[in-house]
Amino acid sequence: MRVLAIDTTGPACSIALADFGESESVRGCIVELMQRGHAEALVPMLDRLFVEAGVAAKSVERIAVTVGPGSFTGLRVGVSAARALALALDVPAVGVSVFEAIRESLGDQAPPFAVALDARRDEIYLQDFPAAGQAAKPVVVSLQDAAGMIPPDCHIVGTAAALLGKDRGLEVFPLDPVAVARAGSRLDPALSPPRPLYLRKPDAKPQAHARIARV
Amino acid sequence: MNVLGIETSCDETAAAVVHRDANGAGEIRSSVVLSQIEEHSAFGGVVPEIAARAHVEALDRIIAAALHDAGLELAEVDAIAATAGPGLIGGLIVGLTSAKALAWAAGKPLFAINHLEGHALTARLTDQLAFPYLLLLVSGGHTQLVAVHGVGHYERLGTTIDDAAGEAFDKTAKLLGLGYPGGPRVEQRARSGNPERFTLPRPLAGRPGADFSFAGLKTAVRLAAEAASPLSKVDVDDLAAGFQKAAVDCLVDRTRNALAMSAGTRFTALVAAGGVAANKAVANALQAIADDHGLPLVLPPLELCGDNAAMIAWAAAERMSLMPSGADRAGDADHPALARWPLDSLKPPQAAA
Repeated sequence: MRVLAIDTTGPACSIALADFGESESVRGCIVELMQRGHAEALVPMLDRLFVEAGVAAKSVERIAVTVGPGSFTGLRVGVSAARALALALDVPAVGVSVFEAIRESLGDQAPPFAVALDARRDEIYLQDFPAAGQAAKPVVVSLQDAAGMIPPDCHIVGTAAALLGKDRGLEVFPLDPVAVARAGSRLDPALSPPRPLYLRKPDAKPQAHARIARV
Repeated sequence: MNVLGIETSCDETAAAVVHRDANGAGEIRSSVVLSQIEEHSAFGGVVPEIAARAHVEALDRIIAAALHDAGLELAEVDAIAATAGPGLIGGLIVGLTSAKALAWAAGKPLFAINHLEGHALTARLTDQLAFPYLLLLVSGGHTQLVAVHGVGHYERLGTTIDDAAGEAFDKTAKLLGLGYPGGPRVEQRARSGNPERFTLPRPLAGRPGADFSFAGLKTAVRLAAEAASPLSKVDVDDLAAGFQKAAVDCLVDRTRNALAMSAGTRFTALVAAGGVAANKAVANALQAIADDHGLPLVLPPLELCGDNAAMIAWAAAERMSLMPSGADRAGDADHPALARWPLDSLKPPQAAA
């Protein structure tokens, strides 16, 4: 299966094209570091990838996209593009969480470990991958609470590792888009739709105060 | 030619297919608009992050529905267009990125369209109107008087120096507890109110120029409402009527000035666009001005007054028709979404190609 992967959730605009079957064959991969500008960079980058790989867009059989958590604007760039590509090419799109992509990028490394991502405002996006059983539900928690939720012997991976006093984490930066493609090739599009995973509600409060008293 | 248009600059997720024939006649083959009124009503106005989230959830379905309603496959459209600004940046990015990806995958030209140009050219879609004409654009986000000389040739005669007219309607409705969106509700209550009971200002009226100001009027409504509170039904009706009358008077004064300022231009019509143009009191007042100047008044149908994607597709079709055949439109593949993008900064398509 030929998978096109897109990641725009963090400080990089990354794409990969890979074939998965009995073996894995990477047709192309571009990772460009950027704090902003993903929306302008993405499509020209796609064009470059396919020209260099010498394959047609129509040969893509699945789109894999990271859905977050991450920059709200960034993840919407990737999800919008993936859904539009899926519509244009008439192929399924599958959403891959950043946690899942990091787990995939660690390869055969055995759990238990937790993925902890810096959510700013002294908060952390956290998902625990225990030795046995299902991964925990991803959550956003305060730095303080996160420390209490992670078992002492647990490895911590991700951009918040240093915040939690661990030295691991940097090896998964920037996210490997080939890992996103691989995770995307495994996941069921029906169960992992390309839908943003914000973990945070929008900053907005209902306004009742603005109106003048009525009889 | 058939153009697929996408509009996500505020709180409507919209897609449409528009056909333009060689004679310049337009036909809307489909137009799908999903309003987010429900999502924003508790907040009394559009919340940008909520809008952006709603756009990304809905847009691919809306595009598919527009193609389906038009009976076309994506491969059969001649170009893809999306609003690139001005508007709420989060929503613009969703629509423009989707359009870029569609255009790239389908091998179609991409047009990054100015939302205001969409409103400005709607009268040519509906009425095949000839240039030049005077446009009063009045919506929740914009209030402008523009001499439309040609595609990409816009002369801004006046704009608001603070709030948009539609914004003033919405804020008045919020103040009076009439709900959101406010325009239609203020209009409804104004019908049974006495517009003369409260003395309200007409900011900038009688002054030279064609700029608008609504902030002072909004504050005056608040002060009058506070003085009269607690408000009875009659009080609310009278405040709504007084506000609407004042707002209409401002629009009239400025539009008359704009016509006087361009006395050397032989306009073919007075055109109104934007959500506030759907207000009957506004339309009646504009009809009187048009009559005085011997001009027809062109009001788009209700569904084209508010935000829609047909006008975006149409603006692209107008631009495409003026371009040398085979001109390269790959240039818009890295066009940025622009929260601010003045209409008079646009260029005719020949220069852009």
